[in-house]
Formats: sequence, structure tokens, C-alpha cells
Amino acid sequence: MSMYVIRRIFSMLITLFIISTIIFLMFRLMPGDPTASMVDPSIPPEAREQIIERLGLNDSYFVQYTKFMQNLVQFDFGDSFYYKTSALSVLRDKLGATVILMIAAMVLAYGIGVFGGAWMAWRRGSVGESIAITIALIFRSAPTFWVGIMAIYIFSVLLGWLPHSGMRSSGYEAENLFQTFFSLDFLKHLILPTVVAAIYFLATPLLMMRNTMLEVLGEDFIEMARAKGLTERRVLFNHAARNALLPVVTAGALFIGSAIGGQVLIEYVFSWPGLGREMVLAAQRHDYPLAQASFIIMAALIMIMNLVADLLYAYLDPRISYK
Amino acid sequence: MALLTVKNLNIEYTTEDGVLQAVSDINFELKEGERIGLVGESGCGKTTLAKSLMRLLPENGEIVHGEIIFKGENLVDKTTEEIRKLRWKDISMVAQSSMNALNPVYRVGDQIVEAIQAHTEATKREAIERSEELFRMVGLERKRLQSYPHQMSGGMKQRAIIAMALALEPALIIADEPTTALDVIMQDRILNQIIQLQKEVNNSMVFITHDISVVSETCNTILVMYGGKVEEQASTRDFFKNPHHPYTLGLQNAFPSITDIGEELISIPGTPPNLLDPQPGCRFQDRCPFATDVCKKVTPDLSEVSEGHLVACHYTDKVDEFRIKAKENSTWQFVQDRLAMEGY
Ligand SMILES: Nc1ncnc2c1ncn2[C@@H]1O[C@H](COP(=O)(O)OP(=O)(O)O)[C@@H](O)[C@H]1O
Ligand SMILES: [Mg+2]
Repeated sequence: MSMYVIRRIFSMLITLFIISTIIFLMFRLMPGDPTASMVDPSIPPEAREQIIERLGLNDSYFVQYTKFMQNLVQFDFGDSFYYKTSALSVLRDKLGATVILMIAAMVLAYGIGVFGGAWMAWRRGSVGESIAITIALIFRSAPTFWVGIMAIYIFSVLLGWLPHSGMRSSGYEAENLFQTFFSLDFLKHLILPTVVAAIYFLATPLLMMRNTMLEVLGEDFIEMARAKGLTERRVLFNHAARNALLPVVTAGALFIGSAIGGQVLIEYVFSWPGLGREMVLAAQRHDYPLAQASFIIMAALIMIMNLVADLLYAYLDPRISYK
Repeated sequence: MALLTVKNLNIEYTTEDGVLQAVSDINFELKEGERIGLVGESGCGKTTLAKSLMRLLPENGEIVHGEIIFKGENLVDKTTEEIRKLRWKDISMVAQSSMNALNPVYRVGDQIVEAIQAHTEATKREAIERSEELFRMVGLERKRLQSYPHQMSGGMKQRAIIAMALALEPALIIADEPTTALDVIMQDRILNQIIQLQKEVNNSMVFITHDISVVSETCNTILVMYGGKVEEQASTRDFFKNPHHPYTLGLQNAFPSITDIGEELISIPGTPPNLLDPQPGCRFQDRCPFATDVCKKVTPDLSEVSEGHLVACHYTDKVDEFRIKAKENSTWQFVQDRLAMEGY
């Protein structure tokens, strides 16, 4: 198992290396002034020239590339134009905010999806199941942007129950890191984006769980579990749902990558100070070092979550042994 | 009093194409310690009958008529919860497709412990000890309790399931083709083991097979099923020495029996009848070499030819002639030709 993890991390590093190379090329081979992507175009020409010289942007691409990679392995992504500090220090906090929102939404979506899907399979053909399917499909097709704005309109503007944006109220200063993420104020801010993100995530685990559950319920070991005189609940949860979970976890691993798109949108709508929103803002502000860094960190995040999902899968299914 | 009495049992499946009469008017009795064999080709309703004894029919299957009296109580009338308590504790099963009968994500030992704890107050420790004892009985190493199903061979899995079936010492064990998924050598071993264990435990048994050579060693009484009906019911001795029904005769040709080694195997041409819309008359008429117009119109009832020996055929008096003819290839070739002519 540990050999497998090491191998996976190694291949992750290679993938990251390739991604970084592509990003390096992307930002330099784009049409227009390539230096514009490296040096803030808004500063005076002489100063600009100086910086270009200092950053080595007049060097050949090969020299630049070597330097870019050298910096990268030291986790040096360059300085953000906008924040005037290192891109990494800007993104560190954002990464935490993104991970928390994403995990909260995933847990909510998968929690409801897995139990709801199992319930739907159990009550197949009932009115309740049809309603659940309809709702899931509406959720799946509703544009996240719209759902987010509606949620803000109803719960913040009309009812005034929950804050409409950001991660904490203005003026609020956390005394320590724990308070940053576990204060009541923070949790209140977390609710709306989590629910909207979960709505976006929900359809996949819910419908998938329902379908695999229906398949599993036809298996011989389910009949055996019934023959053993187990309670219907035990048959359903310990035997059927436990097995139906496996493909749902696999799908979840694949889903994480595509979920990032929704995550970016949600962070943007709720002004959630996360990686996704920062990525959009950085691109808008032509803050290329920051954009590059957030791309690479996002890619690493997806790969790590994928690995975690794979390991979870191996833990859940004894037939899988990673060597 | 009999342990199990099945009276006039009728089971139907609701399918997209209509109602399928899987089991029709079955009657039999099983005494304590007795073993009854259900034989017949695939699709004759053996599994359906077996499952109904545990009220384990799939959702589209229903007992439409009849009684299943087990230990004096009619199982057909019992509530789901009453049935749940009875399953495995009183009636256990070695299912037809037991290759997939174990849950792949749990250790085999835990699955046995689960069965024990579902019906007794046994502690985990006691249940594990019982499982170890059961594994010893079926000749599996104790450490196999820790295995997952995919780590075991087909024969081991089958033994584990037999061990599980014995766990609560049920009065009745149903074995539905317990060896069909195994290779020939393993089939023999498992079969001997089942016979051995049955003698030790002395439980009653319903033993299902499509291979009649198997029942000769295992059962006291044999029920020949065809198209959801019992065509012949006899003691094992009568079944082999004094068979009456043309279907029984045909079956005996199709399998090598212990007594007639070296004889040519002749299988019965055609396939079991369509139970969605059964034709009137005898269910076996299309494939019977001796069928007459009467067989097409009148359904023969089971009638006694000797004590405890029942046959559903209009021509039980011609049995001597049938037996001689049934041994001849040409008799069955005739059926083959007739079926071909009728466009089967
Ligand atoms: N779940 C089901 N739904 C519809 N028809 C079924 C179902 N199970 C079995 N049958 C039909 O019932 C008949 C008897 O099947 P079965 O009891 O499995 O026979 P056997 O065990 O003797 O092979 C067959 O015609 C089969 O096609
Ligand atoms: Mg069967």
C-alpha cells in the first residue's frame, strides 16, 4: 500500500511538471506582448525595462524555462502584481477557504446522495421516488450561477437570515486560526455557498447510488442476507448500500476534477475568498504570476483529492489491493 | 406429525408477458430427518418451490394458493417479521448460485457470525467459536474465517456456505443444486460431505438437482417436477427400480446411473413447456413418446400405483411396455421428428 502511495505521488509530480510546462508556454506563447504577462504593464517604461531585465525576460525561452522550474521546485511562484507579495503567501489562505467549502459541500452532497439514493432504490416506483428524481434532475440542470443568486436573494436579501457574501463579517478579526474557521460567524457564511455547491454536486451521487443500489439488490448475496433472517434495514444498509457505495466513490474521484468548474462559479457568486475566485480575479487583473500559481495549486489539489478517493476505495473494497 | 406439509401450493410470477404459473398444485410431506429430492430439468419450478418454503420469492412472485405447514404453522399467513425470525434458525438454504452468495466486502467469518447473532444472544466470542467449530466440520481451516470471499476457491466458498447453513442447527435445510457451479471432482466431495453432515446433524432436507444420479445417494423420497407440477412421487428405491412416468423414464436415460454403466445416454428432445400460457392436458404431452389424444385434453391427476408411489399419467397400466420402449433410441427419435414436424 505505501509503495502504491509513493508511486502515485511520484506520478503526480510528473503530471504537475507537465502541467507547469504547459502553463509556462501558455503564458509566453500567447499573442501580444509576452512581457505583459510577466511585468505589470501599468508602470512607467523605464521602470518596466528594468524589471524586464531583472526578471530575465530578455533571455531565451530555454533559460527562462529553467529558471521558472528552479523557482517552482522551491515553491517560488513569483510576486503578485496586485498584492505586491509572493503569490504563494496570497494563495495559502485562499487554499484553506476553498478546501473547506469544497469538503463541506462534498460531505453534504454525498451524505444526502448516498442515503437518499439508497432510499430511492428501496422505494422504487413510489411517488416519493419520482419526486426525488425530478428534484435531482432540476438541481442538476439549474445553472449554479442562478441558483446562487436566488439563494442570496431569498435567504439574505428577503429573509435576512444569512450573510450574502464573503467568509466573515467586516470588522471581525479572528484571534487565532481555529477561530478563523470554526467561529459561528464563519459557519454562518459557510452555509449558503455550501448548500448551493451541494445542490450542484448532489445529482451525481444521488442518481448513481440509486442505480447501483438497484443492481446490487438483485445480487445473490442480498438474497442470502435475507435468507439469513437479517432485518430489512440491515440487508439494505450493511449489505446492499455498502456495496453500492463502491462505484459511487469511484465516480466521486472522477467527479472532483469537473467539480472545480462549479466551485469557481460558486466562489465568485458568493465572493468566497477561495482559490477559484482568486484565479478569476487574477486573470481579470492581468496578475499572471498569481494566475499561474493558482492554476498549478488547483491542479495539485485535484490530484491529491483523487488520490484520497482512490485510497478510500481500496479501504472500502477488499478486492482491490494496491501494490 | 410431519415437519413440513405442503398443500396445494400454487405460485405465480407476474411478468411483462403475463402471469407465469411456475408451481401448480404441489403436495408433499417431509418428516423429521427425512430427505426429499426435487428433480427435473431447468425451468421446472424447483427453485421457486424451494424459495417459497422460506418465503423468499422475488417481488414479482406470489403464493396464490395453498399452505406451507411448518412445525404446525402455516408459513403463508405469517408476517414478514415472523418469517424473518424463522429464517436460518429453522430453515436455512444453500442457494443455487452460491458462488456469489457471500458478500464480497465482508470477511467470511463475520458473515457467519452475523447469521448467528441475528437469531441468538450469543456474544461475538461465542459466535466466533461456533464458526470455528463449523469450519472444522466442513473441513476448512480456521484461518479461512478471516478470508474474504474472493480469496477462496469455489469449493471453499461452497463449504463455507454449508457451514453457515448448519450454524443454528435448523430443522430443515434446503440445498438448491448445491454443486452445479463446481467442477466434477469437487461436486463429488461436497456431495459426500453434505450426506455425511446430514447424517451427523440429522436435520430434514430438501435437495434439489437436475442430475438424478445425485439423489440416489442423498434422498429418501423423490419428487419429479415438470412444468411446475409433480409428475411422479416415489421412494428413492421405487424411483430407480419401478419408475412409471414417461418423463421419469426419459430423465433416467439422460443421466448415467450407477446401475447401468456403459449405457447410451439419450436426452429428451424438446424443452419444458411455456408456463405463461400452459396448454390443456398433460404438461409433458409435446415431448412424450406415448402421448395420445386423451393426454392433450385431460390433465392426469396424481394417482397411487403402490403405497406412497404417485404418478400423474393416464397410462400407468402400460408401464412395462413404456419401460422397454423408453430404452430405445428410436422412441425418442420419434418425438424429435414429431416436434420438428410441428415446427419447433
Ligand atoms: N423472478 C422471476 N420472474 C419471472 N419468472 C421467473 C422468475 N424466476 C423464475 N421464473 C420462471 O419460473 C419458472 C421456474 O423457474 P425455477 O423455479 O427457477 O426453475 P428451476 O429451479 O427448476 O430451474 C421458469 O419458467 C422461470 O423462467
Ligand atoms: Mg433452479
